[in-house]
Amino acid sequence: MIKPRVRAEGVCKSFRRKSAKGGWRALSAGVFSRSREAPLWALREVSFEVAPGQMLGIVGANGAGKSTLLRLLGGIGRPTTGTVRVEGRIGALLELGGSFQGDLSGRDNAMLAGVVAGLLRSEVRERMAAIIEFAELEDFIDAPVRTYSTGMAMRLAFAVAVHTDPEVMLVDEHLAVGDLAFQAKCAARIAALRAEGCAIVLVSHGMDQVKNLCDRALWLRHGEMVLCDSAAVVAEAYQEEMREESLRRTPEAPMKTTPEGTVLRARENRIGSLEMEITSVVLRPGPRIASGAPLELEIAYHAPVPIGAPVFVVSISSKDGAVCMDTNTQAGNVTLPDLFGRGSIRLTLERLDLGAGAYFVDVGVFASTWSHAYDYHWHAYHLNVEGLAGHKGLLAPPCSWMLGDVPAPGGCERVGAAVSMG
Amino acid sequence: MMTATDTPKLQGPGRRWRHGRDLVRVLVDRDLKILYKRSSLGFGWALITPLMQLFIFVFVFRRALAVQIPNYSSYVFTGVLVFGWFQSSLSQAGGLITNSKSLVTQPGFPLVLLPHVTVCVRLFHLALALPILFALLWGQGMRPGMPWLALPLLVIVQYLLIAGLAYPLASLNVIFRDTQHIVGVILQLMMFVTPVFYSLGMVPEGMRNWFYLNPMVGMVECWRAVLMENRWPDPGVVAGLLAFGATLLFVGRRVFVSQSHRFIEEL
Repeated sequence: MIKPRVRAEGVCKSFRRKSAKGGWRALSAGVFSRSREAPLWALREVSFEVAPGQMLGIVGANGAGKSTLLRLLGGIGRPTTGTVRVEGRIGALLELGGSFQGDLSGRDNAMLAGVVAGLLRSEVRERMAAIIEFAELEDFIDAPVRTYSTGMAMRLAFAVAVHTDPEVMLVDEHLAVGDLAFQAKCAARIAALRAEGCAIVLVSHGMDQVKNLCDRALWLRHGEMVLCDSAAVVAEAYQEEMREESLRRTPEAPMKTTPEGTVLRARENRIGSLEMEITSVVLRPGPRIASGAPLELEIAYHAPVPIGAPVFVVSISSKDGAVCMDTNTQAGNVTLPDLFGRGSIRLTLERLDLGAGAYFVDVGVFASTWSHAYDYHWHAYHLNVEGLAGHKGLLAPPCSWMLGDVPAPGGCERVGAAVSMG
Repeated sequence: MMTATDTPKLQGPGRRWRHGRDLVRVLVDRDLKILYKRSSLGFGWALITPLMQLFIFVFVFRRALAVQIPNYSSYVFTGVLVFGWFQSSLSQAGGLITNSKSLVTQPGFPLVLLPHVTVCVRLFHLALALPILFALLWGQGMRPGMPWLALPLLVIVQYLLIAGLAYPLASLNVIFRDTQHIVGVILQLMMFVTPVFYSLGMVPEGMRNWFYLNPMVGMVECWRAVLMENRWPDPGVVAGLLAFGATLLFVGRRVFVSQSHRFIEEL
């Protein structure tokens, strides 16, 4: 059997409640290690293993103990009981450019971060060119880091971390930052590290991310393990839990009619805590479009209290329940700011190649951790797609037929007479 | 892309030693650059404080109070620099852990090196001011001789002394944040019970032995013996200070290491 790179056995972690007074009382408590107050359990009986080349996702709501667990794996603090064993050099992305110094240049900071991560100065110097190239900062590397954007600082931190030959990588939600091209590069680099036997532990809020990247996932709730299984199983269970939680939180709200005449009934076609409401959804050019035409959705919201970085979701499904499209702001790499008051958000679909038929547009807004829905309108908005007769099925992309000769062996380049239909 | 195979990979304790040295080096670099990068005077600031002290002491004690110590400005400047290294290092020692949160939360970061970074940064400041001291000594007719060979030893002894005190202070400040301020006050008072601007000869005989409880008294006297009187420092004093410093460092480091996992939770 292959020896696991990371092994946690019955890990518990408690924190003493911090006395706000500090001063002499804190000193005497620190010296005599006596505390009358009950400890705060951040983790209870957490056990798992990560084999070389494996990637484990840790999911759970805010305050579930994910970051505490990641820090314990990094040897920052000790578990109260239980053991943590990590074999090999640890690379970590726990805080965004945590140790960066704004006044120093990118190059100085890369040297600093590399040596702090365990490389010798000579080793960092050898890799500097590769790090700069990976971070795509050739033109800015000698400028002070305080002039960098968040994305640039993140790229530099990531570039250093993946160039330290880590045998174990601990990542706290960093892959979601940066543009798509850089994300693809990060994903490729992570795949390469895994192929070399690096074990990766990723703390994430994005279920899609966990499903796509991780082999296995660990779900924490109030410091306890709910489930540790394959990523797909955990993601499914987590989403089911979210639905139940949203339903549980749905208040007995009066029936509401949106300005466009849609009737919303709580617990019927609407669930969510209603801490934040979706007040109207407008389809443009209208609820009746031609197949292949663009579609724009304008979602108006009202947040009576400030809501931290919510996630908007739009999905389109057919009458018989098949999901044709399901996207959200997180998947689209849009991190929303804290929302307060009234406003709107727009989703543009450049073209919607759906087959002719009747569809539902479901719209919702969720807590940033996906723990529950604030407001979710299910099957409340209708979309009719009109297309050519004779096409069947959900998809109707532009297509053409072409008649050819006998295909040459080993090649499919030759094109004969073309018959176009349209 | 070059790879790690270009250099033979160091392993084991050899690598750990070299990595520790490299880490102190980059952190010292960082601290020096941060201190002076954005100021127009740059490293000049490292000289301003001791020079101001020198002018004040010389003016007040020489001119106003007519203190009778030969070569008074060299005398004061030696004291100011030697005590300054001690004072500036220790006044920062309290904040070592509490101000380095970003480093403390890096997996595998050897916290135990942090006190050395501060002591080295402050030693660098001392080194910057040394040419001025040497010029002053030269100007007042003192020339280097054989006893100057003892200077590296004095640096080592004082280094052990400062680092040995820095460990417990840094540990204590994590659980008791007032430490930093109390240390500041004590250091200020210590300056007056260290013969920086007066000589021990002015102290009544009965009190003099009590002064030697302050390790900086012996330390400053050793430096002056070498630099100003061109004689070897008292071997008994040097040996005593060396033993004291080494013991402090050994015990302080032990306590620091055994407590270091608690630092993270307290931050």
